[in-house]
Amino acid sequence: MSASTAPFSVRYRRSVGDPDLKPRLLDFQRSWRESRDAQVRRLEQRTERSFDALRRDFAAVKDATLERMDDYIAEFRANAEAAGATVVELSTAAEAVSYIASICKSRGIDLVVKSKSMVSEEIELNHELEQQGITAIETDLGEWLLQLAEERPSHLVMPAIHQKRQYVAEILGAELGREFDPDDIPEMVASARDGLRRHYLSAGAGLTGANALVAETGSIMVVTNEGNMRLATSLPDVHFVTAGIEKLIPTWADAERQLQLLPRSATAQTLSTYTTCITGAQPGKEMHIILLDNGRRAMREQDVISDALRCIRCGACANVCPPYQVVGGHTFGHIYTGAIGLVNTTFHHGIEDAAGPQGLCVSCGACETVCPVAIPLPKQILEVRHQAHESGHAPLWERLALKLWARPRLFHYLMGIGALAAGLASLAGLVRNDHLRLPLPRKLRWRSVPTLPLRSGQTLVKSRATQDAIADSPASGQTVDLFAQCLADRLLPSAVDSAAKLIEAGGGLVNLPDGQHCCGLPAFDAGDWGTARQMARQTIETLEQSGNEIVTPAPSCVIAMQDHWPRLFRDEPDWLDRAEAVSNRVHDLASWLDSPGRLPDGCLSDGANGSWTAHRFCQASNRGDPGARIDLLVERLTGEPALPLEEPEVCCGFGGLTSLAAPEVGEGILERKLNCVAESGCDTLITNNPGCAIHLRAGANAGGASHETLHYADFLAARLPRNE
Amino acid sequence: MSTLIERTSRFAEGLDAAQGELFQCNAWDELWQYADSLSGETPAVSPAVHAHLQRGDLPDVNDPLRSIADRQVGITEAKLAIAETGSVLLIEPAPIDRAVSLLTRHLIVGVAREDIVDELSDGFRWLAQQPRAAAYATFVTGPSRTADIERSLTIGVQGPSRLTVAVLG
Repeated sequence: MSASTAPFSVRYRRSVGDPDLKPRLLDFQRSWRESRDAQVRRLEQRTERSFDALRRDFAAVKDATLERMDDYIAEFRANAEAAGATVVELSTAAEAVSYIASICKSRGIDLVVKSKSMVSEEIELNHELEQQGITAIETDLGEWLLQLAEERPSHLVMPAIHQKRQYVAEILGAELGREFDPDDIPEMVASARDGLRRHYLSAGAGLTGANALVAETGSIMVVTNEGNMRLATSLPDVHFVTAGIEKLIPTWADAERQLQLLPRSATAQTLSTYTTCITGAQPGKEMHIILLDNGRRAMREQDVISDALRCIRCGACANVCPPYQVVGGHTFGHIYTGAIGLVNTTFHHGIEDAAGPQGLCVSCGACETVCPVAIPLPKQILEVRHQAHESGHAPLWERLALKLWARPRLFHYLMGIGALAAGLASLAGLVRNDHLRLPLPRKLRWRSVPTLPLRSGQTLVKSRATQDAIADSPASGQTVDLFAQCLADRLLPSAVDSAAKLIEAGGGLVNLPDGQHCCGLPAFDAGDWGTARQMARQTIETLEQSGNEIVTPAPSCVIAMQDHWPRLFRDEPDWLDRAEAVSNRVHDLASWLDSPGRLPDGCLSDGANGSWTAHRFCQASNRGDPGARIDLLVERLTGEPALPLEEPEVCCGFGGLTSLAAPEVGEGILERKLNCVAESGCDTLITNNPGCAIHLRAGANAGGASHETLHYADFLAARLPRNE
Repeated sequence: MSTLIERTSRFAEGLDAAQGELFQCNAWDELWQYADSLSGETPAVSPAVHAHLQRGDLPDVNDPLRSIADRQVGITEAKLAIAETGSVLLIEPAPIDRAVSLLTRHLIVGVAREDIVDELSDGFRWLAQQPRAAAYATFVTGPSRTADIERSLTIGVQGPSRLTVAVLG
């Protein structure tokens, strides 16, 4: 069994054990980001339209085509057949394989040369043809290297990105019967060209995919860089096209729209080297176009999922994905890789193959920001994760932990015991800088275990003197409900206290609703919507007691209430209304301090000296929340500029349960973040989500980093004047 | 609509970005002399170019594909050039056309200056009106390339490693 077809747990262990993978993919992601952004900027300047407007235009084309799929299939078929092609619509992978095999057999073809086609990977065509005595040879260099190594692609457009040059030299050497210098890549490429050339001349059929199927003329459009696709379609007598039905577009003008987005998003090229359009069979030859369903119609029936059919297979979602950078595509995906693979695998290959990597996604939302067809991938992944949970694919420890978490009194009781135990540990000298010094197993040593403070955030707020107002704001005299957040309440209580002080500094009055606990986010994230609903209902009941505006130091809860609650209660109209009434009143503290509880510019300029920088909570940043710019808020209030930080909005690796379920992923992403923080040279790292703050602080503690990690509320509140 | 001079200069920039080379000349004969001087071998030419040149000393255009493989220089013509991207649009209904543009090491593409259009959308608009041309049409943007081994960009894989666009007139 090869590295890429083993069970998920085996693939996971292999990928986290490969020391070269992470740095190579990090280098790739960073250089792609830079060149892709430059391409997108140029496109925006030339078209005088934003990337978002351009992608939404093309997404609308795809949506309208999918809506009338059967009409466009009929139009495509009529035009392609008029031009001499044969068009077949097939439902399953097995049907597609057997169609191709039967044509080959009846024509006496025993060799098929292939250009890159993800659909042929999807149906595992090479393997199936081999069973029937037909040899298929990949002619795209990357795909050929995979075939020689008996591997699957680890990226949609850079299929062999996981292979090291030394490994390539080895497999090419074995195939071509000679030795290669791994550092002489041009020589390897030249030899591969010569090795492949002979196959074109003896193959009976060529097979390609299609980037688009143009209905108005019945044409296929294929985008490549090497030139192998043109060879595979020119020399053999039979041309097979394998394409998903979602590749249909109405017109050539739409093809041009797709090309504005595809090469820029895929390889950061203005245009790939060869954009080839073929209409019908060439004189004296055959063309068979296989339009494959294989789960696509089922995708179209699901509201949350159907947008995934817009996908143009550019791979951009993998190129910005923090967990993908750590584990690569053999683990983060199945045959389709990256965020889209976490979604469509369910429909093409089944929930069994889709379930494994679900827990690796940190829900940072970066994929959606670069997707050239604006697929709501994070939302869809949570949907699939829910389906995986419902079909029994959640680990026992996770289910039990969530059951405990869902019971506020039991939770607080256990936390109380934990805090006492931490107190005892402290007496025994097992605590340093608020973290336990425990003999952790190696794979958990990268993050220290924080102690549980004896007093929760809510206790701190209740037992302190009120902060004097330092300025008038539109919220002066207004009573505000403070939602502490369960995690901050227990593990970062100072942030809750500081949030209360900052609200009061702007003239607000703080009310702490009794019985508040958890919005349900951890359970929702884990796909356990039943438990999530239970927690959400409890929170809604708690926050319904007053009609006050609600403020929280935890932007993740704001997102949970605004984005996730409507999904949890989509079948319960009463609760949906109640949820909406609450979520309409909720504010992230950072945005509250801009409006309406605005603190004046420079009002917190007298503070400790020392430089600072800001990690901005990924999910809120990628969602475009203005409150996520805590760097701007802190600069405005303190008058001190932030130090520049690379990748300020890339996930820190906390990712809710991900860093517990897949600790190596949490560690890998944290390492990327902490390296950027170290390069900034800051004394203090501030951040806005309590989960990030706890995680970043525990990671810095374990790694002996020199900076201090604070929630921005603590950073700001420390500068408030003491009460007279 | 931009002027011909503007389009030519934009095209030159786009071609340069795609790692192609520009050659400006007055007529096909001049192009031939340049191509012929590049290597000791006679260049392979597409049927359309053969017709343009009207020379008796050219190899037979029905040359079997195998003999074109790995010829040092090939000459073909483009219907359009796209200023925005530095691309040329090749219409290649016959396998012999594609053999010249794919199997030779250094491809030279002749295009008339007045056939340089502004944007890719102009190219697609043209294509949509020419159903026969769309039988086998390719926008070629620079020489063949791959980055499949450790993302190291290597120019010249299955197609030409050098692309020159000769702007005529």
